[in-house]
Order: sequence, then C-alpha cells, then structure tokens
Amino acid sequence: MSPRRAERPLRVGIVCPYSYDVPGGVQFHVRDLAEALIARGHEVSVLVPADDETPIPEYMTAAGRAIPVRYNGAVARMTFGPVTAARVRKWLAAGEFDVLHLHEPVTPSLGMLALWIADGPIVATFHTALIRSRPLQMAYPLVRQSLEKISARIAVSEDARRTLVEHMGGDAVVIPNGVYVDGFAQAQPDPRWTGSPERPTIAFLGRLDEARKGLPVLLEAVPRVLAEIPGARFLVAGRGETGPDEVRELLGEEAAAAVEFLGGISDDEKASLLASVDVYCGPQTGGESFGIVLVEAMSAGATVVASDLGAFSRVLDDGEAGVLFRTGDSEDLARTLVRVLRDPELRAAVSAHALEVVRQYDWATVTDQVLAVYEMVVAGRRSPVGEDPSSVRGARLLELRRGRGESR
Amino acid sequence: MRWSEITVYVTIVVALALWWVWVAASRLDRLHRKVGTSRAVLDAQLVRRATVAAELATSGVLDPVSSVLVGEAAWAALSTGTSELPADLLALVGPDDVPVGGAALLAVDRGSIESELSATLREAMDEPEEVAALRADPAGDELVGLLASSWYRVQLARRFHNEAVAQTARARRGPLVRLLRLAGHAPEPSSFEMDDAWPENLGRPGARSGSAETTPPR
Repeated sequence: MSPRRAERPLRVGIVCPYSYDVPGGVQFHVRDLAEALIARGHEVSVLVPADDETPIPEYMTAAGRAIPVRYNGAVARMTFGPVTAARVRKWLAAGEFDVLHLHEPVTPSLGMLALWIADGPIVATFHTALIRSRPLQMAYPLVRQSLEKISARIAVSEDARRTLVEHMGGDAVVIPNGVYVDGFAQAQPDPRWTGSPERPTIAFLGRLDEARKGLPVLLEAVPRVLAEIPGARFLVAGRGETGPDEVRELLGEEAAAAVEFLGGISDDEKASLLASVDVYCGPQTGGESFGIVLVEAMSAGATVVASDLGAFSRVLDDGEAGVLFRTGDSEDLARTLVRVLRDPELRAAVSAHALEVVRQYDWATVTDQVLAVYEMVVAGRRSPVGEDPSSVRGARLLELRRGRGESR
Repeated sequence: MRWSEITVYVTIVVALALWWVWVAASRLDRLHRKVGTSRAVLDAQLVRRATVAAELATSGVLDPVSSVLVGEAAWAALSTGTSELPADLLALVGPDDVPVGGAALLAVDRGSIESELSATLREAMDEPEEVAALRADPAGDELVGLLASSWYRVQLARRFHNEAVAQTARARRGPLVRLLRLAGHAPEPSSFEMDDAWPENLGRPGARSGSAETTPPR
C-alpha cells in the first residue's frame, strides 16, 4: 500500500439521533460533516428523525416523526419503535454503505437502533459528557454487545472521552467538533448589534428555557454590570418560553430595557451577530462537553467570557483565548464582564490568541481526521455495512405479528 | 409431575442453555475477527509510517546525521514489520534466528523498535525552525505531510486495536466461557504497546498550512 494512493470515494451512512424539526448542536454537526464529506467527493446519506413536512436537505432521509423525551437533563426529540426500526433496516439495505457513522449510539434513538441492526465497519461519535443515568445503567448489559460492534469510537472532546472511559469502559480518539472558521471570520458586522465604548454589546445564544444553558446566571448579572457600565446592551438570541415579560418581572423595568430578545436567528444572522458584539457570554452551568458556539464566537472575533467548566476551559486554552468566570456565579460574571468591557487591550490580546486556537477546529482539519478514522475502519473489511443476523429474527417476528394484525 | 411435563421443562432449559452458548460463541467469534482485522490495519499503518520515514531519510532534505539515524530506525522497523510471519513459516525461513516462543518475543521487540523510530523522528524534528525549513521545500513539505498523516493513522489504529483487545479479553474472562472453552484455539490477543506521542512541531494532522498549527492533538 503506497502512502500516496488517492482516496477512493466512500459511501458513508450517517445516523443522527435527534430530530431535525428542532435543530441543535448534534444536528448541525451531522449536517456540516455530511456537507464537508460531500464536498470532498464522497457519497453521503443521512438518516434523521424528522416530520415528513420538515424541509431537509436532499442527502437526508427522514426516519419519521420524533417525540419529545426527557433525557440527560434536557428535552430531546427522538424516534423509536418497530416502524422506525423497519425504516432503518430499509435505509441500510438501500445504502450499501462502506462505513456507517453513528452519533450518540447510547442515546435511546435512531443511533442505538441502527447499531443493533447493522454489522460491518461502524464508527460512532460520542457527543455528551453525560452523568451516568440509571436507565442506561439498567439497559447497559443489553447495549454492550451492540457496542462491541463499533470498530472505532470518536469523542468530541476530552470530557466526552473521559465520560466514556469512566462510565462505559474502553477508549476513544478525540476529534473535535468542526466549525467553518472562515465563514465566521469573514462575517460582516451588523450596525444594529455593533457596540461602542459607551454602549458595548454582550451576546448570548442558546435555548432560553433550559436552565443549564445559563441564561438566568447572565440575567442576574445584568443589573450589576449596568451599575458600572450603564450603556451596556445584552443581546439574547435563541428560542424558548422566556421573554421580555419574565425579564421585566425578574429585573425591573429599567434593567430589562438593556436586554434585547432577538428570537431564533438564522445561521447568517448568528455569524454577523458574533462578528458585531464586543463580548460573547457562555454562562452554561453544566452538561457541556465541547462548546461549539464558543469556537464560533472566537472565529468571528468576539471576546468570549465563559464559565470555567472543564470543556470550556479546554476550548479557551485555559483562559488564554477567552476569559473564564466561576460557573454559576453571577457576581463573578458581572465583575468579569466589567473588567473585560473596560479593557480593550485585554480583549484584543485574547481575541488574537483565539484566532490561532480555532484553526484546529476548522472543518478542513476535522474532516481529514474523520476520514482517517473511516480509512482505518474500512481498511480491515472487504464487505460493506450489512444486516446483523441476530437482529433479523426479532424483525421477522414483528413482521409476522403485524401481518397477522392486518389480516384480522 | 408427569414425565411429559419434566420433558417439556428439560427441553426448555436445554434450549435456553444452547441459545446462550450460541450467543456467547458468536460474540467471541465476532470479537476475535475484529481483533484480527484491527491488528492487520495497525501493522499496515506501522509499515506505512516507516516507509515514509525511510523516504524522508533518503530524500536528502534532512541533515546527514538525522538522515542516517532516521534511516537506521526506519529500516529496523521495516525489517521487523515484514518478518513478522507466523511462527511455523518463520521456522522455515530461518530456524537459527527464532528463539523459543518467537512470536511473543518478536511482538515485544516490535513495540520497542517502533518506539525508537518515534523517538528518533521526534528528535530530528525537534526545532520548529527546522520543520519550517523542511516545509519550505516542496518535496520536504510533501514528505512531512505524509509523515503527519501516517503517524496520525498509527495512533488511531493502535487505539482501535487495543480497544478491541480489551473487549475480547473481557468477553473471554467469563466463567462459563472459560469452562466451556468457547474461545477454542484462538490465542489470547495482546495489546500493542509503543510510544507514539505526537511530535510537537509536526502540526496537526490535516492542517494545511504549517504556520500556527503547532498544537498537539489532545
């Protein structure tokens, strides 16, 4: 085997566990990965839970409607059940993939189903740094045999890897989430959101009604920041139940005026928001394994102020590429924000270092690494991804029963 | 209890036991095959890395001392890599050189030889300026890029292989699996230990430009 041999185009099947109806981090990651692979000439098909009406890119296959389920401290929309299993089986058979790439295979959704059904070169990416959940512990003996079918495990961060090592045993290689760094670096600032020395802007992005995203921590810091810098504007983007009324109730009329809700924003708007603001605030209180939005903010040139969670300090190079505050501590956040907003030199230094740090998260780098993993997995096998015979019996049984149900 | 009932119960128990044995045996079989393929992939990647190192040594882009030392280490790795034949074949090839229990000894040897290659290459690329100078030359840039990509693949393949070994060992440890000798004659797989720490100045695998990317993968 020559080291210079040309990469042969691969047929890649990717399974996304969370619904495309309500896009989130994992879904975006899957989409961007698929597009990065397609751009390099590989054939990609993505199986994703989605309503039939939800507009999805043509390389995606909808696996049916997803139901909101509480899992890992957040409400996630997942698909499951025998009908879904049949769809997964059909998709696998039609795809004849060289490699199957599952995301979150221990989340009770499409990934777990696909792993049960498929056999062959399988890669799995673990996104969460989840605390060991009791249901998973119960189901683990059942899942473990399936997990042994995975040829290569990827963790998106050192934290996700550590979770894997501690809670499931075994190891994984760390390949970070990708960001189109240049897309953010070249985004045009929007005058509506651009700050001035008297009226600096601070942005927050994320689901508003999910406590671990940390909006309450930021809101509590607002009055303290305003006491020092009366002109500060807080731009809050994202969907959720929380709105201006709740904030008025919480902070009073005066402070609430400084908080502007932008609602859900498009990708382009996000890039230009991050390119406009002085500071991006990441006040998450836990459950984060990577912090992709921090990388996006860094790429766009915003100075990041974030909680000192393990994952965040690693992304921010231990505070060299962003400023850290004590997780969940609004007072410390307010102090840090004031310090950062009043010190343009600090901001410039931190942002300059951030631009160097983010290169390792660029899709150009990340795609190469993912392809190297695919190569390792495909190299050892001659046959594409097929059906696991031990999962077939169950399916035959189900078909039989359904057949009988229909004939009645 | 009548005989017919007893027969039914016994049949069910025997069927369940057989089913369990079948499941356990197919699981072991799958794991053994997985270890076999992952080991083959790792071997191929090690050879690939040594080949690139040998090319680097003979290309003249390194200084003479580094060239000789890298070449020596690469050659040593290549010759163990290719001579790692099954014990019976080895006995045919050169009966004098093979110590008793040859395969295991060779495996240990290979890890340390590959580690030596890693250490030598790291030493040869010790200076960031040195690597930058290598990268400035188109031929050198291509070789450094190839070295980075093959080194990264060695790291990946070794992780995946050792992972498969650990899973197999776990499956083989079960008391019933041992009692029934479900593993058969398949040898106990061993993990492959070597020093494959990333050379600091090589740049991240896949990184296109060699300027800012001096961060090792974590």
